[in-house]
Amino acid sequence: MLPACPALYTTTFLLATLATLLVAATLRLLTILPHTRSTPPPPRRRPGTLTRVLIVLGSGGHTHEMLALLRDLDPRRYTHRTWVVSSGDAFSASRAVAFETALAEKASRDTGEGKEEAGRWHVGPQYYTVVEIPRARRVHQSLLTTPVSAVHTLLRSLTLLYRSEGLPDLILTNGPGTACIVVLAVLVLKFFDLRGAQSRGKCKTVYVESFARVRGLSFSGKLVGRFVDRLVVQWEGLEGVSGGRAEYWGVLV
Amino acid sequence: MSKLCFVTTGATAPFTALIEAILSRPSLDALLECHVTHAFVQYGTAKDVYETSAKAAREYLRQQGKETQLEIDGMDFDSSGLREQFKLVQDTKGLVVSHAGSGSILEALRFQVPLIVVPNTVLLDNHQEELAMAMDRQNYLIHGNISNLAPAIKASEEFRNKMSQFPPVTAGKERQTKSFARIMDETVGFTDFNNE
Repeated sequence: MLPACPALYTTTFLLATLATLLVAATLRLLTILPHTRSTPPPPRRRPGTLTRVLIVLGSGGHTHEMLALLRDLDPRRYTHRTWVVSSGDAFSASRAVAFETALAEKASRDTGEGKEEAGRWHVGPQYYTVVEIPRARRVHQSLLTTPVSAVHTLLRSLTLLYRSEGLPDLILTNGPGTACIVVLAVLVLKFFDLRGAQSRGKCKTVYVESFARVRGLSFSGKLVGRFVDRLVVQWEGLEGVSGGRAEYWGVLV
Repeated sequence: MSKLCFVTTGATAPFTALIEAILSRPSLDALLECHVTHAFVQYGTAKDVYETSAKAAREYLRQQGKETQLEIDGMDFDSSGLREQFKLVQDTKGLVVSHAGSGSILEALRFQVPLIVVPNTVLLDNHQEELAMAMDRQNYLIHGNISNLAPAIKASEEFRNKMSQFPPVTAGKERQTKSFARIMDETVGFTDFNNE
């Protein structure tokens, strides 16, 4: 039986629609969020497969730690690298280029021994890019305007991921505020399964907490801890924080 | 024989209190006691503070007739990193005095040199202090106090013999460790680890 008042009908309909959407969105979120530490291993990847990695660099300390983490990065496996720096962070951008130059030098020293199984060195300008995205929050920026700049950063991150030649397979972050926004952008991609971000198992996110964090996660770590595929800490005392998700495998930097 | 004490105050926020502390009279006495011949200060943007302090320090040394025993020098910032300086410290069996930024700490520790870390107490974020304390407990470095740096300098010689190796050697312990490269590989599915 129809309600007597058409206005009520509209309201009920609207509420029902909203409730349905809410339930659907929640279910979707539950599907895309990483559940426990024991997620099934990804399908085996053959060396030589095109593999894109996106690395978010931050201010001085974060950049330094990230490059230390990547000291054994193998350009035969990680064939395409995207370095994301905050706008105006010339220091991080130049460090990224220096890192790539060092990789190329390493490649030229390679004698070719075991080349067949290890694959080709993917080094040189065609295998990496350095991109800038606006800062989520500048130092001393007012808290009132932060949401606006954060949304700006989010949009830029989304377009960066969406318009890239191919979605990254792996996303590495270690703490700058901008990295949280990139993680959020990945969630959006996975939520709507844009370009198959979810169904093709792309955009695996790894967050490494700074070595400087001894007793607790940083603000960024707390924020993204639940939303990244892997949360890695570097002090044994932090193992298992963030609902049992934090992994400890020794000092990595 | 020369012996270098390298002081780094960080690139971003100038840590002027550390410049003043290392060039204070008690610290200079401690450096002389440890037979340090060169004090080299990376002062960042705080050139004026450094110059004032260095002038006073040289004057103090001159009064004692020791100006030839300890030379004071400085630089603003080296964009190529501090490896060269750490290497010099290593070669001269000297010591490093550093702000508590994790980058400088990690870099210096890999050279296996006595390291005094002085947290900047002005910064509100206290995780610098936490890191310095935790690493001091494990004998990786000496946690120095900005208002009283001399005892830490004097302790550095003895510390050289008992300092722990960094990064910690975990082999033989029950804990399983992994490199970050391995963590990346297993996340994307490179499951053959014949490189290791």
